[in-house]
Amino acid sequence: VLLLCAAPPLVCRRDSSSSSPTLKNPKRTASGTLTISPPFRNSSIRISNSVMATAARAQALSLLAAANNHGDLAVKLSSLRQVKELLLSLEPSLSAEIFPYLAELHSSPETLVRKSLVEIIEEVGLRMLDHSYVLLTVLLVLAKDEDPVVAKNAISVGTAFYCTILEEMAMQFHHRGKVYRWVGELWTWMVKFKDAVFSTALEPGCVGVKVLALKFMETFILLFTPDASDPEKIFNEGSRKMFNISWLVGGHPILNSAMLMSEANRTFGILLDLIHSAGRLPGALTITVVSCLAVVARKRPVHYNSFLSVLLDFHPNLESVKGCHAASVQYSIRTALLGFLRCTSSPMIESRDKLLRALRAMNAADVADQVLRQVDKLIRNNERAARENWSGKNNQAINHQNSWDLSKKRIMPQGEDDTVNGEVAPKRLRHNNNMHLTPKGQISDSPHGTVSINGISSGNHPSDSEPTPVEQMVSMIGALLAEGDRGASSLEILISKLHPDMLADIVITSMKHLPSNPPTLTTSLATPADIVVSSSINPMRSPTRQPQLPFDSTLPFGSSLSDVPSLNAVVDPRRDPRRDPRRMDPRRSNPSVGPTSLPGDEGKETVPVQMDISTVASKPPSVPDVTAGTGGSVHPTTVDHSQNKVMGSSIIRRIDQPDCREDLLPIPKEYGYLSKGKSPLDVPLSPCRDDEGIRNTKLDLDLVSVPDFNQHSPSEAGPDFELHPPVDSNITAAEESYRELAPVPSYVELTTEQSNTVGKLALQRIIESNRHVCGFDCNKIRMALIARLIAQIDAGNDVAAILRAHISVDHREFKGHELVLHVLYHLDSMANLDTDESSSYATVYENFLIAVARSFLDTLPPFDKSFSRLFGEAPHLPDSAIKLLNELCSTRPDPVGGEACDSERVTQGLGVVWSLILVRPNERKACLAIALNCSVHYEEDIRAKAIRLVTNKLYHLTYISEHVEQFATDRLLTAVNSETDFSQTAEGTNIEAKSQITSTSDSPRSGNSDIHSQQDLQTSRDVSVLSFSEAQRLISLFFALCKKKPSLLRLVFEVYGKAPKTVIQAFHRHMPILIRELGSSYIELLPIISDPPKGSENLLTLVLQILTQELAPSLDLIATVKHLYETKLKDVSILIPLLSSLTKDEVLPIFPPLLNLPPDKFQLALAHILQGSAHTGPALTPAEVLIAIHEVVPDKDGPTLKKITDACSACFEQRTVFTQQVLAKALGQMVDRTPLPLLFMRTVIQAIDAFPTLVDFVMGILSKLVSRQIWRLPKLWPGFLKCVSQTQPHSFPVLLELPMPQLESIMKKFPDLRPSLTAYANQPTIRASLPNSALSVLGLDSGQDSRPQMHPSDAASSVHGAALT
Amino acid sequence: MRFRYAMVCSSNQNRSMEAHFLLKRQGLDVASYGTGSHVKLPGPSAREPNVYDFGTPYKQMFDELRRKDPELYKRNGILQMLKRNLNVKLAPQRWQDNAGDGVFDVVMTFEEKVFDSVLEDLNNREQSLMKTILVMNLEVKDNHEEAAIGGRLASELCQEIEGNETWEDTIDDIVAGFEKQQRRKLVYSISFY
Repeated sequence: VLLLCAAPPLVCRRDSSSSSPTLKNPKRTASGTLTISPPFRNSSIRISNSVMATAARAQALSLLAAANNHGDLAVKLSSLRQVKELLLSLEPSLSAEIFPYLAELHSSPETLVRKSLVEIIEEVGLRMLDHSYVLLTVLLVLAKDEDPVVAKNAISVGTAFYCTILEEMAMQFHHRGKVYRWVGELWTWMVKFKDAVFSTALEPGCVGVKVLALKFMETFILLFTPDASDPEKIFNEGSRKMFNISWLVGGHPILNSAMLMSEANRTFGILLDLIHSAGRLPGALTITVVSCLAVVARKRPVHYNSFLSVLLDFHPNLESVKGCHAASVQYSIRTALLGFLRCTSSPMIESRDKLLRALRAMNAADVADQVLRQVDKLIRNNERAARENWSGKNNQAINHQNSWDLSKKRIMPQGEDDTVNGEVAPKRLRHNNNMHLTPKGQISDSPHGTVSINGISSGNHPSDSEPTPVEQMVSMIGALLAEGDRGASSLEILISKLHPDMLADIVITSMKHLPSNPPTLTTSLATPADIVVSSSINPMRSPTRQPQLPFDSTLPFGSSLSDVPSLNAVVDPRRDPRRDPRRMDPRRSNPSVGPTSLPGDEGKETVPVQMDISTVASKPPSVPDVTAGTGGSVHPTTVDHSQNKVMGSSIIRRIDQPDCREDLLPIPKEYGYLSKGKSPLDVPLSPCRDDEGIRNTKLDLDLVSVPDFNQHSPSEAGPDFELHPPVDSNITAAEESYRELAPVPSYVELTTEQSNTVGKLALQRIIESNRHVCGFDCNKIRMALIARLIAQIDAGNDVAAILRAHISVDHREFKGHELVLHVLYHLDSMANLDTDESSSYATVYENFLIAVARSFLDTLPPFDKSFSRLFGEAPHLPDSAIKLLNELCSTRPDPVGGEACDSERVTQGLGVVWSLILVRPNERKACLAIALNCSVHYEEDIRAKAIRLVTNKLYHLTYISEHVEQFATDRLLTAVNSETDFSQTAEGTNIEAKSQITSTSDSPRSGNSDIHSQQDLQTSRDVSVLSFSEAQRLISLFFALCKKKPSLLRLVFEVYGKAPKTVIQAFHRHMPILIRELGSSYIELLPIISDPPKGSENLLTLVLQILTQELAPSLDLIATVKHLYETKLKDVSILIPLLSSLTKDEVLPIFPPLLNLPPDKFQLALAHILQGSAHTGPALTPAEVLIAIHEVVPDKDGPTLKKITDACSACFEQRTVFTQQVLAKALGQMVDRTPLPLLFMRTVIQAIDAFPTLVDFVMGILSKLVSRQIWRLPKLWPGFLKCVSQTQPHSFPVLLELPMPQLESIMKKFPDLRPSLTAYANQPTIRASLPNSALSVLGLDSGQDSRPQMHPSDAASSVHGAALT
Repeated sequence: MRFRYAMVCSSNQNRSMEAHFLLKRQGLDVASYGTGSHVKLPGPSAREPNVYDFGTPYKQMFDELRRKDPELYKRNGILQMLKRNLNVKLAPQRWQDNAGDGVFDVVMTFEEKVFDSVLEDLNNREQSLMKTILVMNLEVKDNHEEAAIGGRLASELCQEIEGNETWEDTIDDIVAGFEKQQRRKLVYSISFY
C-alpha cells in the first residue's frame, strides 16, 4: 500500500520533468508541476518506513539533479520545491543524508536557484537543527554571494540560525547541564558566520547587503549586552524571548559571557565609528546605522548615553557628499531622538532636556512636545495600573520573590551549573531566614569536591534554594571581575544599568560579606588584590568540597531531614574565574569594586554570605569545622526548626580541600558562611583546565548524588546535629587562613540607640548630599539606601521629621514622592516578609506614612496632589491613614485655618477618597464610608461637596452603587421615621392622624377632605423633633441620587404620607430642583405617577406642577395622569397642571369636578385652561369657559349652585380676561340655548353691573328673552324682572313688548316703574305704536293726549336703537 | 523586481487612496493605510467633522453622507472620493492595527506626522525577520488637487524603485533625482521587519 501511495509522486515527477523540456513556455511548465504537487504532498506525508525512505531518497536525488542540471530554470525551481517538501516529510536523519547533495547547489549559476536554496535551508535546517551542519557551511558561502538578494537572504537566515543555536546551547545547558557536541560544532560555524557578516558590513560592497549586515550587528549587540533591567522578562519562559547574555549568569561551558559582552561592546563601538565616518558612506548606510543604534540604545539603556552624545555631536556637512541624501540622514537622527523621548527608562528621561534642545534645533519642537505629552499620559496610566496591582495584593513582595524563584527554577533546573547554585544558594538561604539565623555546623567531605545540593533541594523548597536575583548579580559581577581588565568595562556597563534598587541590595548584600572580625593585614599586603591572592591559594589544597544542606525552617522535624544534599558538580571550567590570569591584574585591586561586590567565595573556608546586620551583631564568632577528607561521605546537618525556632535553618558546610589541583573543582563557591573571621574573598586562581576531566567529574557527581540522597536519613542526621552545635566553630582554621592579613578597623557593636542615631545621621548626610548632586542614578541609589536605613533604624517619627522638609521641598519634582514611595514599599515588603515580628516594620511603615501625610497637609496647599498620590500609591493604607483621611474630610479643623482653606481641604480629602475608591479595592469600603458620612454631614458645605462626589462619581461605579443607595435610603427613612417614633410615644394625635390617613385614602373621591385631613395631619406633627435643616441633611443625598436614578423617587412618594412636616417641607424644597435637573428623563417618573402610593397626592400634584411649569407636558405624561384620574385617583386637582395642554373635548367633561374644587384651586385651573399651550392655544376661550360654567347643572354630588356662582364671580373678577366683548359673546350664545342656563339672568345682571356700556346689548338680550316668553321660566323670570328694573329707563321698550298680564304684574311688583314708564309711553310716537291694551295697563287710554306729543321722535329712536343693537 | 508597496496617510481616504488607486492601476502590489486614531471626513463645518472608525466600509460612509447632505458632500468632492475608494477596497485600514498584513518593501507616507508614526510603529514591532523596509515621506496637502498630484508623484517614484533589484544602493540617487526634478522635498528612512 505504501508503495502504491508513493508511486504517484514519482510518476508525477517523471511526467513533469519529462514533459517540461518539450514545453516551450516555462510558465506553463511551472504551473504544470504545481498542479501535480498536491497529490505528491499528500502521499509524501505517509512516507515513513525504510522502503519508502530509500525511494524518497532516490527521488530527492533525481530532483536535485534536475535542479542542478536541467536547462529550464522553471524546472529547476519546481524541482527544488519538491525537494523541500520531500525533505520536510522525511525523518530528519534521512533528510540529512540528502543535505550534502543539496549543498552542491550553492554553486549553481542561477541566482534564483541559490535563492531557493537559502529558503530551503531556512525551512529545513531550522527544523532539523542537529543535522543542519552541512547547510550552515553553505549558508556561510551564500552570505558572501555576489548577488545581493541571495546574500541578503543568506544573512537573514543565518541570523535566525545564530539566535536559534545560541538559544539551544543555553537551554541545553540549563536543562541538561551539558551542551551536546553537535551544537558546539554548529556554534563554531556560527562564529565564522558572524565574522563573515561583520566583515561584509565593513568592507565595500552592495549597500543592501551591508544594511542587513549592520542589522545583524545590532542583533549581536542586543544578544550579548545584559538585559538585566527587566529580569523577569528574561526568565519568563512563557514568552519566547530572544536569547540574552543574562541567561548565562551562571556560566556556560562554551559561551564565555564576559568575552561575548566585551565583543558586543566593541561592536557597538564599531557602529559608533561608522557614524563618525558618515561623510564617506551612502546615506542608506548611515541611516541604517543610526536606526540600528537607536534600537540598541532603546533596548539596552547602557549604551544610550554614549550613542546620544555621538548623535548630538553629529553635524557633518553631508550636502556635498555625493550619493547621500542629507535630509534623510538628518531625519533619521530626529526619528531616533523622538524615539528616545518616547522611552520611559531612566537615562532617557534623565536626558529629556537634552533631547528637547536638540529637537528644537531641528525645528521639531512641536512634535517633541506632543510626544512628551503622550509619554506622560502613558506613564500616568501605567502608574495607575501599577497602583491597582499593588493595592490588590498585600503580599506583593512575597509573591514577587516567589515569582523570581519559580521562573528561575524553570530555567535552571536540576542539572544546571553548580557555579550558580554553589555560590548563591547559601546566601539565598541565609537571606530568607536572616531574622533568626543560627548557623549549625556540619561537615562532610565529598570526594568529588563539589558541593551543591541546590539542584535537588530546589525541588523540595523552591523558595529557599534558588538564588535570588541579587545573588545572581553578585555572582555575575564576581565573574566579570574575574575577567580583569576585559571584564571591567562590561562590569561598568552592567552596574550603570542596574536598577538602583537592585544595586542597593547588592551593596547591602555584599557588605554582609565584610568580616566582622577583620583580618589583619600586613602593610605590604594591604590591598584587596593581595587578599585575594593570599586567600585564593589556600583553598587549592582541598579538592573536595562538601555538600551543603538547605533547610527549610518551616518543615517539621522529620521532613527537614529529607533534605538531602545532591552533588551536582556541573561546572564550567572555562568560565571559572580562577583560570583567568588577569585576575591577578593589580588593577583589579581597585577597592571600589573589589571587596564589596565580590561574593565571598573561598574554598575551604566558610564565608558569611548573607547576614542580617542584627544577626551579625548578636552572633558570636563562629567558624565552621573543617573535617579533613572523609573520603566522600556526606554528612548533612539538619536542624529542626519546629523545635528550635531560634536557630534558623542555616547550614554550615565545611570542606577540606586536598591539594590536588588536578581534580579541579570548577565552581567558585562558598562552603558555608559564618559571621566572623571571614573576609570577602575572590575566587581562587585555578591553573587546572582539564575540561574533559571536569566533565567526567560532573557525570560522576550526578550519579553519586542519588545514593547520597538515600544515605542521609533523618535518623542519621539528627545525631549529627547534636554533635555540632551552632557555636561549633573552628576559629583556628580561620585565623590560620588569614594570618597574613593586616588589621582593618574593628567591628563595633552598637546599642540600639546608637545605631539609630548613627542611622539618622547617615540619613541626614544622604539627604544633604542630595541637594548638591542631582544625578538621576545617584538619586535612585540614595533612595534605595534611605529606604533600607529607615527600615533598619526603627524610629518612625524622627525619621519622618528628618525627611519631611526634604520630601516636601522636592515633592513637586516628584523626586520626593519617589523617595517616599520607595521607602514605603521597602518597609512594606519588609513587614510582609517578616511574618514573626510583623509589628515592628508595620509600625515603622505606619508611622512613616502618617508622618509624611501630615506633613503634606501642614505644608502644602490644598490643591497640591502630593497627598493624593501618596495615599494612592502607598503599598497599603493602615487604619490610621483612613482615620486621618476621615478627619481631613469631615472635621472642621481649627477656626484659625479660615473658612476658604477648610473647604478646600475638604475638597482635597474627598478627592483623595474618590481616587482611593477607584484604585484601592481593599480600602474601598472604608473610603466609601467616609464619603457617605460626609454626605450627611452637619456642615452644609461639606455635605454638598460629598454629595457631588457620591452622586456624580461614585454612584456610577457598579460595585458600590448599591451600597450608596442603601445608605441614602437608610438616611431618608431615618428622617421619616424619627418623628413617628417620637410621636407614637409622646402624642396620641398621631394615632388619630394615622386613622385619618387610612380613612381618606380609602375614599379617594373625597379629594377635599383628603387634603384637609393631610393638612390636619401635618399640623399635628408640628411638634417635631427634627429640625428642617436636620431633615435636609438626611435627605439631601437621597434626592441627589434620584437625579441619577429617578426611579428611587418612589420611595419618597411612599414615605411622603407619613413623613413629619419638616421632612415634607424638605421634600418640597428639593422636589422642584430635582425635577428641573431631571429634564427630559422625568419619563422615568411616569411609573410612579401612574401608580402613586397612598398619601402622596400632594406631592404628586406638586410634581405635576413643576413638570408643567416651564414646558408643555408630554403626551405620555398627559396620558398617564389622565389614566390615573380615570382609574385610581379621582381627585381632579391632579389634572390642573395639565389643563393647559388638554383639548376642549377633554376639558369640558371635567368641568363639573373642577368647579367643585376650592376657589383657589379653581382659579388655578381656570388660569391653566385659559393659558393653554404654545402649540394648541387655550383649550377654551373665555367665552367658552363662561358658557361651560353656565352649563354645569347643580347637583348634590357635584358642584353646588353656590360653587357655580362662585365660579362665575371668579370669572367676573378677571376683567382683563372676561372683557365686555367676551361677555357679550357668551351671553349672545347662551340666550339661544334651550334650556336657558340657570344662572343666565344672574350673569346678565352681573355683566351690566360690570360693564354699563353693555346696556344696549343687554336690551337686545332681554328683548329676545321676551320673545322666548321668559315669564314661563319661573327660575329666570325674577332675574329678568330685576334686570329690567335695574336698567330702566333703557328697559322700557322691552317692557312694553311684554304681554299685558306680565306687564301688569310688573307694574304691581315694581310700582316705582309705573310713573316713568307711563311718561315714556305717553310720548306721541311711542304711544302711537302701542296697542291699546298696553296703554290701558299704563292708564293712558283715558285721554291724556297731550303727553304723547311731547317727544315722539325720541321714544321711537330709542326703541329702534334697542332693536337694532 | 516585485516589491510590495504601502501608501499611508492619516485617514486612508484621500492621499493614500489616490496613490493606491494609481499604483493598483499600474499593476503594482499595493496596499494603503491611515495612521490616525479615527477616519475623519470634513463635515458641514470645521468643528463638525464626520468621524468613523477604521474598518467602516467606504460604502457605508458614502451612503450615510449622501443621505445627510448630498449637495454639500458632492460639492466638496467627498462623495466622489468615497466612490473612488469603494472601488479600490472595502474599508479604510489603520497602519498600526494591521501588522499582520505582512511584509512591505516600500512605504510611502504623505505627511511628516504619518511618517513618524509609521517609523515609530515599525520600531515598536519585534524586528526579527531581518528584512529591510524603505519608508519615504512626500509632503502632500490633504485636498483633492494635491492628492492627485501626490498620487502621481508617488506612482512615478514607485515605478522607479520597482526598476531596481535592490533599492538600497540607489535610493540616495533616486531621492536626490526626484527632489531635483520635481522640486519637492522627499525624505526616506530605513527600518526592519
